[in-house]
Amino acid sequence: MGRKERIMTELRAWKEKVIVSKAIHFSLRDFMQSILVVALASMICSILLRYTGIENNSALIYVFAVMIISRITTGYLWGILASIISAFSLNYYFMYPYASFNFTISGYQVALFSMVAVSILTGTMTTRIKQQAEEAIRREKRAKELYEMNQRLEAEHAAARMEAEMEKIRSNLLRSVSHDLRTPLTTIIGATSVILENGKDMSEEECLRLLLDIQQDATWLISMVENLLSVTRINDDAAELKLQMEIVDEVVGDAVQKVRKRFPEDRITVTLPDEILMIWIDPILIKQAVINLLENAIRHSGDKEFISLNVYRQEEFVIFEISDRGRGLLASRKDEAKGDTGRGLGIGLSICQSIVRAHHGFLESEENPLGGAIFRFGLPLAEEEIDGDRDL
Amino acid sequence: METEICKGTILIVEDEKGIRNFISKSLLGAGYEILLAENGETAKRLFLTKCPDLILLDLGLPDLDGIELIGLFRGWRQTPIIVVSARDRETEKVKALDLGADDYMTKPFGISELLARVRTALRRQSRQQEERAGKVETYRVKDLVIDLSRHVVTKSGEEIHFTGNEFKSLVLLAKHAGKVLTYDYISRELWGTYNKSCNQTLRVNMTNIRRKLQEDPAEPKYIMTELGIGYRMLEDN
Repeated sequence: MGRKERIMTELRAWKEKVIVSKAIHFSLRDFMQSILVVALASMICSILLRYTGIENNSALIYVFAVMIISRITTGYLWGILASIISAFSLNYYFMYPYASFNFTISGYQVALFSMVAVSILTGTMTTRIKQQAEEAIRREKRAKELYEMNQRLEAEHAAARMEAEMEKIRSNLLRSVSHDLRTPLTTIIGATSVILENGKDMSEEECLRLLLDIQQDATWLISMVENLLSVTRINDDAAELKLQMEIVDEVVGDAVQKVRKRFPEDRITVTLPDEILMIWIDPILIKQAVINLLENAIRHSGDKEFISLNVYRQEEFVIFEISDRGRGLLASRKDEAKGDTGRGLGIGLSICQSIVRAHHGFLESEENPLGGAIFRFGLPLAEEEIDGDRDL
Repeated sequence: METEICKGTILIVEDEKGIRNFISKSLLGAGYEILLAENGETAKRLFLTKCPDLILLDLGLPDLDGIELIGLFRGWRQTPIIVVSARDRETEKVKALDLGADDYMTKPFGISELLARVRTALRRQSRQQEERAGKVETYRVKDLVIDLSRHVVTKSGEEIHFTGNEFKSLVLLAKHAGKVLTYDYISRELWGTYNKSCNQTLRVNMTNIRRKLQEDPAEPKYIMTELGIGYRMLEDN
């Protein structure tokens, strides 16, 4: 933060300079104003003296004038000058004997002294108040600048974090392409060559088993490729997804259909909200996120019965909750620590994470109180409400 | 038995040998006659000389873009076109469909899916020919009956009430049952224009229709969602 400190030091030096120059500040405007006020006070005094004949008011009026001058001018200079001029003019014009100086009148010294004191005090006070006000404004401006700078830094930081996240996913994917993709390809090539070379000597059942292995691993390859494609969709421009208004039912329905087709033996229970929920999303990406979480549940939980997808509204978010009653998060993490990540649990999840993040949503996971794991992500609801045709 | 009767001639336009092989094997096995084209030029020639009943078209051809062929074929004849492509961007699909393709399959796909789509496209073609001949009074989709003259929809004999636009959407989908209709196409047919608010109204209407039909979104019986593209009414199969 060297830059911030430098700015602060510069600012302090500048401020000190301003205060010094303000104390003996000379401006034509202040000069004119001072003369005007003193003249006005003198005029009022002479009018009062003519009509009332009482001279006691004059001193008060001059004190008042000095106060005003101290208030409206900058620094002490004009207040003090005005108080001295006022003292002389009071003595000369409005104290007996009129039109001549007499400094021996009793109480005059007090009047002179109090006028100078008032002007200095008022001058100091108003100067300080003005300075404080200016200081407050400056401080506010400064705070705003700091706030904006902070915001900018945070945005840069977030972008860098996003970039780093994407980089992580990218390298994860590359690693899995070189490692994980080899496994299913080995099965496919191995099984096909066995069938090609020994097909005649094999029982139909053995053949079928190999063919099913091939199909299963090919299916796995497809889902891998689809994930790769969704990463390219985000990578095209992380800041600008092609968002469309989508109905939650349609996206969820499509995702579930796809997973059911891929895993016909597994049961998935789906609960959708009664109200029509709309979100601004890239439908293909969100579909992929739902598919990834469902497939993870199917592949890694060991649960075949109670996998469920529950979609509901929570305040301004649509929540997609995928739960199973399988081994739970802890067991999966232990496996991961041992280096057995299964096939791409991490990749599916991290892609899901980046998809959700790109949509300004959140992803969280927890142990299912009924056993197993819960993965949940939330996306902000579309703000505007659009109605279809109403029944009449 | 069935394999002996020719169900139709299908032109396969595909430059990938492996894919051509398994598609032609499975279509031959299902009783279709096939024509093979490895590139766009051959495809054009075969299309004009042999008059196939259906075209399976790969978009990534060595000599030209398959998208061009769709427009060209459509200009000549109403032969159903099923696009088979590895391109999976919705904009590509929408473009192909709006140019007149009947269906779009993304690689990879299974045999059963391919055969189902071929059947659907061929049946749609013959049905539309019949429809052109006589005036259509009702559409039937499974247990759903849409009566055009009486403006009534019944499901298993029970009447379901729809608003004007909902009814129109339903009729439009039923008329093109089996074909993917893009959001753009449906909007233009219903309102004569396409914009953001039309699209949103359309989507909400469609959701309402489905709810009235008591569709399970994860297991649709009548209307399929083609995410990011449009809708398709399913047929009896």
